[in-house]
Parts: sequence; structure tokens; C-alpha cells
Amino acid sequence: MSINLIRDISDTSSFWGASWVFGCFPDVHIICDAPIGCYNLLGVAVTDYTDALPHMANLTPTSIREEDVINGTAQALKRTIDDLRRLGHLEGKHLLVVSTAESEMISADHKKYLASLEPEARFFWSQSLEQDEWLGRDRALRFAWEEYGRPFAADIKPQPKRVNIIGPSLGCFNAPADLHELKRLITGIGGEINLVYPYEAGLAATPDLASAAVNVVLYREFGEPLAQELGQPYLFAPFGVLGTTRFLQELGELLGTPQEQISTFINQEKRQTLQAVWDLWRGPQGDWFSAVDCAIVAGRSYVEGLRSFLGEELGMKIVWSSGRPRREGEPDNIEIRKRLHARAPAFVFGSINEKIYLAEANAKASFMIPATFPGPVVRRTFGTPFMGYAGAAYLMQELINRFYETVFNYLPVETVKQDGPPGSPGAPTSAASSDSGARTMAWTDEATTRLDTALKDMPYLARISASRTLRLAAEQAARAHNLTEVTLDVVEATLAVNG
Amino acid sequence: MAEVIPLTSANNPSESFKPGGCKLHPQSMCPAFGALRVLARIEGAQPAMVTDTGCLYGLTFVTHFYAARKSIIAPALGTAELSSGKVQEAANAAIAEAAREPNVSVIPVISLCVAETAGLAEELLPTEVDGKPVVLVRVPAYAIHSHPEAKDVALAAMLRRFIDTGADTPSDEKTVVLLGEVFPADPLMIDGVLRKMGARVLVTLPGRHIDELRLAGHGTAVAALHPFYRESLACMREQGAAVVGGAPIGAEGSAAWLRAVGAALELDEDLVEQVAAEEEQKARDFLATQPLKGATILVSGYEGNEMLYARLLIEGGAHVPYVSTSIGQSMLTASDEAWLRAHGTEAVIYRKSLEDDLQAMDHWNFDLIIGTTTVAAYAKERGIPAMYYTNMISVRPLFMSGGTVASIAVAQELLNRKPMYQQMVDFFGA
Repeated sequence: MSINLIRDISDTSSFWGASWVFGCFPDVHIICDAPIGCYNLLGVAVTDYTDALPHMANLTPTSIREEDVINGTAQALKRTIDDLRRLGHLEGKHLLVVSTAESEMISADHKKYLASLEPEARFFWSQSLEQDEWLGRDRALRFAWEEYGRPFAADIKPQPKRVNIIGPSLGCFNAPADLHELKRLITGIGGEINLVYPYEAGLAATPDLASAAVNVVLYREFGEPLAQELGQPYLFAPFGVLGTTRFLQELGELLGTPQEQISTFINQEKRQTLQAVWDLWRGPQGDWFSAVDCAIVAGRSYVEGLRSFLGEELGMKIVWSSGRPRREGEPDNIEIRKRLHARAPAFVFGSINEKIYLAEANAKASFMIPATFPGPVVRRTFGTPFMGYAGAAYLMQELINRFYETVFNYLPVETVKQDGPPGSPGAPTSAASSDSGARTMAWTDEATTRLDTALKDMPYLARISASRTLRLAAEQAARAHNLTEVTLDVVEATLAVNG
Repeated sequence: MAEVIPLTSANNPSESFKPGGCKLHPQSMCPAFGALRVLARIEGAQPAMVTDTGCLYGLTFVTHFYAARKSIIAPALGTAELSSGKVQEAANAAIAEAAREPNVSVIPVISLCVAETAGLAEELLPTEVDGKPVVLVRVPAYAIHSHPEAKDVALAAMLRRFIDTGADTPSDEKTVVLLGEVFPADPLMIDGVLRKMGARVLVTLPGRHIDELRLAGHGTAVAALHPFYRESLACMREQGAAVVGGAPIGAEGSAAWLRAVGAALELDEDLVEQVAAEEEQKARDFLATQPLKGATILVSGYEGNEMLYARLLIEGGAHVPYVSTSIGQSMLTASDEAWLRAHGTEAVIYRKSLEDDLQAMDHWNFDLIIGTTTVAAYAKERGIPAMYYTNMISVRPLFMSGGTVASIAVAQELLNRKPMYQQMVDFFGA
């Protein structure tokens, strides 16, 4: 058996995934059978940075200590339940006990013990040592349906026009904005929102999942298995102008919305939400998309959606992408790091990991656009969607604003503060160096070829300015060494400093 | 400084505070993070973490956010690897990968809960790979209990490996090694005062470079500015460094600490007395106005230095009836606890939980709460001015007269913001 290595892990474990699903339900209290670290990282630290929640109020640890590792966690679990009950935290709540990597490591399976303590409570074996957050989320959603939904849903029949949105939960990047857009689209063509599950639902409402005629699964990385269980037709959330239009047509047909109503909504959208896309696409800004490249690291939905909108609808070059869960053939973080160090595209959609790799490579000409976790980023307003028509407009607007930023960053500037050694960017240009810049110098063929190769590796918009900066620096270095022409060695040395 | 707005009156509950409720929600960052933070910030350190994926995700998340922009390597550890005794092989694979990075100065191997439970053996790990030292740091959350104490575990492990042993110190050299992750200006301020007494700060640990760990072996004295560096102090003591107790906090504390340094380094007594008196007077001049008079303040953090901060507030005139921290009680905490109890603090809670703090919030009427994120959020919900302790403490000096002024000023500003808190609660709470 060979050992696989991980660099800066991107997907967390099923314990996290399941807790991020169950934690959405206001009528649930979760006990995680965990040492204090697992509780703190999930319940207090990280969820504050992913979801801007000060803390998960419905999560309590058993606080596994050394003696529990030796003797098992049953006593710790009983004490936790007793204390929670005494303080009234379990009133009106369904109690769920979730295992963690550490409790699984010591085989603390409390299914039977918990049933003897609290017959109404349920034990969720998270399989955290084997499964990632996507499987964890899927299993939690199906567990909720099997335990709290299906047994009570026998008499519930699907209602026309009712639509569930399945998937949005804690730890899902940008969920509030994408969800808001989906609701707008669904109701725009005559659908009625049934349940937003689990994000805006209680566990007690689970049987009502059965009353939707259609399910919209927000993410491709998880949620589909629950939609399959429910048995009604389902669609994935759309991206882009044309992708969203196809979605509206399909959903309209499933809901029995008259074609005229669908067309009216789409036409309205063209004049409102999408007017910006039409104007920017016709304007000079639209030309830039075919001139720049990007890489995408994100959840499966975002990777497919961005590839389709940016790549197929706007003609942007997508040099590579890696989705989550990662598929065979897609780069892992070890490979992503290598690629970004070797050549950074103009735009990188990704997480804090990609941001670190770009920083390590000093790739200042690249823009990192948050598109997934890990990484602290607040995405709690409705104004930052990637999905739907609003997402198309928002993405276009944001990318163009970054083009503007790039242009600004490469315009000449004369700084007031001297903050670097002479010759460095930001330092005042001396009379001598501006004089040397005015004179031309010969370049050997090898030197010219090397500079051209280096420039080709730079993002398009940065090239024009870098070409001038590098040329001047190389010629200055050549003069400093009393050379009559710029040689390959001089270019290499210049690139090592300025590249 | 602006006048303090009217504070709550009649702030003396008739019954005394009885802690001892349940401890459901322990308040500490994951203990292991303390170690990771210290280790990831060392130049050229390439951490290898041995743990499960959920742990790895949470810890790298916070490490990338506020320790270092540094890529972290780990082996994939699942049931298959853990149950078939592959944890050793897995750790070695991660170490080998770490050693392939350019410019590696040290490979800290951070062994966490599942690896410790599986029994990662130190004797089966290499001590170096390609000349790059490998240092094992064991920080299972179930045994370490708090994040400050894990900083000590990490620092002690590094000191044991790198400190210059048997170092000859010139007898006229009077140097102090400071221990504690402090605001960058603090060691400079302390050094400035020590130089007036004929001594200086040699280095402040945990530092950012292996050489700083080596250099620590040349210190004539050591002082833990934060009261949880037990193992690191022991390690320094073994090197022959004299241990200075306490920290230069506030008027009284700074003067006492300077005298203790003077005694440990055998400095000129008259000179030490003169400098200590000067430093005390500077702080007293500021404290004379009693800027926090009448305010009742709760101090609850998980950084391990809460008692120091509480002392400052009390010297500034505040009533601080309750202080809680994540660290355990020890010899190092004794003097601060005694000082606090002699100055009106009724409860000092170690290894505290959210329940302790909430009980205190119900018992007293606080004008200001400086707490963990959770406690501060609950306080804000009640319209009480509140701030996350770590944010408060990490962005300004704390020690000597300079730290006294900076730290008390911010508390006073917060007290004046009561109406701003109230109007938010009036809106959202309705």
C-alpha cells in the first residue's frame, strides 16, 4: 500500500460535512463525540470564516480527554447529555450524536447505548476516517430523509408548481447569493418555493420534501442522491446567459408553465438583469475576454459553470481546472502549486491555497478571485452570485473591474515616498537612468528570444508594461557591466530579479 | 482622554459567585493550533502534519489565515493506514516530501489526536533527512487542553533540539531571554528600559528563526512574559539561565519585574531602583486619573495572558470581579492570581468553559466584556460593549508604562461606545 500525500487539503471530512448539514436545522442539537479541537475548529473558528456565524450554537462536544481515549467515550457522552438537558438546551430539539475521526479511531459506536439513554435521539456514524465532506453531506441529507422524512411522508403527494432547492448548507461558498438568485429564477417562471433544504428548513419539516413536484439541486458535488430518493424530476442550478435560459425552459416545462410566460420572463431579464452583460459584451470590455486566460479551482458546480459561461459563452481561455470532489486527471494541490509557480494565468478562481501558491511565486500580475473554501471570505450578501443571470452579470462586472485594476497598476507613477533602492520599482528615476533609457542598445538573438519567452508566460495585460521594464533593466545591467550588447546572461540575471 | 460615560451603579451582588456549573463548551482554540502557529512562522520550517483529513482542514484553515502563508504537507491517513500500522510509514513519506522543498531549515512533525492514538513512535522517525533536522511535536488536543500550552510544547521541543548547550557567556554580559508571542513593540520597549539598568534583551521566543533558538542558550536569565511556558522555562533552567518570575505589567508589576531582573542578573542595585521607580512613576502618572474608575469589566480569553490584562484594568480603576482563561493553574499563574484576589477579583477560572462565563455575565452587571468570540457575541446581543479578547490584545503593546497607556485607552474608548451597542440591539433585538 503506497502512501498518498496531501498538500494544504481542500476537502474536509464527512464529520464536518454532516455537521454543516445538521447544523442548519434550528430544531436539532448536535453532540460531536470529539476532543475540544474538533469542536472549536468546526463550531467556533472556521464556520465564522466560511459562514460569518459567531459560533454554531447547536453544537456541543463530548470533549474527549486522555482517559476517554483509553476507556471509551460513553461516560463523556452521558455527562454531556445530562448537562445539556439540565441547562434546557434539548427542549424542543432532536438530539443527534455524530462520530468523529478520533471517536471512530477508538471504535466509539454509541448507536445502542444512545438508544438506551435517549430513545428519540439518533447516532450518526460519520465515517470521518474514510469519507470526505461531500459524501458526509450526502449521507447526512439521506439520513435526515430516512429517519425524519420518509416514514412520515406516505400520504404527502407532490403539489403542482412546488419546487425544493436542495443543498445549500453551512460551509458552502457563496450560498446566500446563489440561493437568492435561484429563488428569483424559479418564482420568475411561476414556480413556488417549497423547502430550501437544509438551509432554511427545520428537521421537522423534512417529510414536506415530498410535496415538491420538482427539485433543484444547487450543487453537483452533493445533493443529487437525495433528489433521486425523492423520485421527482430534478435539475441542477444553472450558470451563464445561455445555460440559465436552457434551465428556465426545462424547469418551465416540468412545472407546466405556458411558453409565453417563460418567454416574457426571459425577455424582461434581458432588459434588466442581463442588460449589463449585453452592454459590456458589445463594448470594448468584451474584447478582453478572448485575450486573457484563467484557471479554476472550485466545487464541481462552479468549475462546470465557469467553464461553460466564461469559456464557451465569452471565449475566455481556461488553461486548466480542478473540481471538487477531484476527478482522475485533474491536478491535485501538489500539481496545482507546481503549475502556478511555473506559469500563473491572469485570473485564478480558487481558495486560499491558490492564493498562497501565487504569493510564493510572487505572481503579482495574476488576480486571485475567491471561488471556494478553504479561506476566510465573507459571502453573506445577495449581491455576489455566480449562478443564474445575475451571476453572469456579476462575474462579468467583477472580471472587468479587475482588468481596470490591472491597467491602473501598470500605468507609470511617480511616488512621493522613496521606498526602495535606486532602480527598484517605486524609487525615483534618476537623471542618469532616464538618460540610459533613452539610448538604445543592441540585443543578441538569444537574449531577444529569452525575453520573448518570458513575456509569453506573463498575463496579457501585464506584458506591455513588463516588456518595457525588463528591456530597460537589462540594458542598464549591460551598461553597468560595460557590455556593448545585451546578452543571454544579462537577460537571465534581469529575469531572476524582476521576473 | 474623553470622560467616561455614566456606568452601571450598585454593582455588588448580594450572593457570592459560585462557579461549578457544567463545562459543556470548552473555550480554547484547538490546542494544536498554538504549536502550528509557532512552528509555521519559523523561517524555512516546512511543517508535516500527521492526522486525519477533518483535523487537517480545520488546522490548515486557521494556520493559513493567521499563522503563515505557508504550504503544509501531510500524508493521507484513513482507516486503512491507521489500522494497518502504516502511520509510521505515512509520517516518513510526508517528511521525505517536506525535505524536497528548497531552503528547508527544519521539518517539524506535528502529531495530532489520531496519530497519537495510533501510537506514532519517535524512535522510528528520522532525526534528519538530507541534513535537514526533523523535530517531533506531540500535540493531541485530548491531552494538551489549551492552545497557549501547545505553544509551550512546540517551543520546548524546538529549544531542546536547537539551543546552544554549554554555551559560555561572557561574565559581563547581562542578557534576558523573553518568552511569549507579544506585540512586536513590546520587546523593544522592554529592551530600552533594561539598557538603562545595564542589561538587555537577548532574544524573544518563539522567534522566527532557528538561530534565535540557538542564541537563547547564551542568555543569563529568562523571563516568561506569559504564564504558560513551563517546559520552555525548564529547558532554559537546565542551561543555567536564572528564571525571572512574573511580567512587567502595569505600575506595580513593571517595577517588581525590573527589580527581579536586577536581582537575577546581579545588576547595580541603586541603578535598578532608580529605573524601576522611574518606570513605575510614568505608569502612575497616567493611572492617577483612574481612567476606568467605576467600570465593571469581565475578562475572558483563551490566550493564557488574561490575568495580566486584568491587572492593568484594575490599576486603571476598573472593577474586574471575574477573570477566566483556557490554561491550567500552575506555579507560573500563582502570583497574578494572588494579586488579582487582593484587588477585588472574586473568581479566577482556569480551563474555563462558555458556561462559566455566561454564569458570570448573569451574576454581575458588566459595563464592558473582553471575551472569547462566543462570549463577546453574547454580550453584544445584550447591548454590552464587548470585544474579542485576542483582537484586543494582539494589536497593541501590553507591557511597561507604554503598554499600560495603550491597553487602558482602548478599554476606555469601548466604554464610551455603549450607545452604539444599544442602538443596534434596539433594532435587531426587538
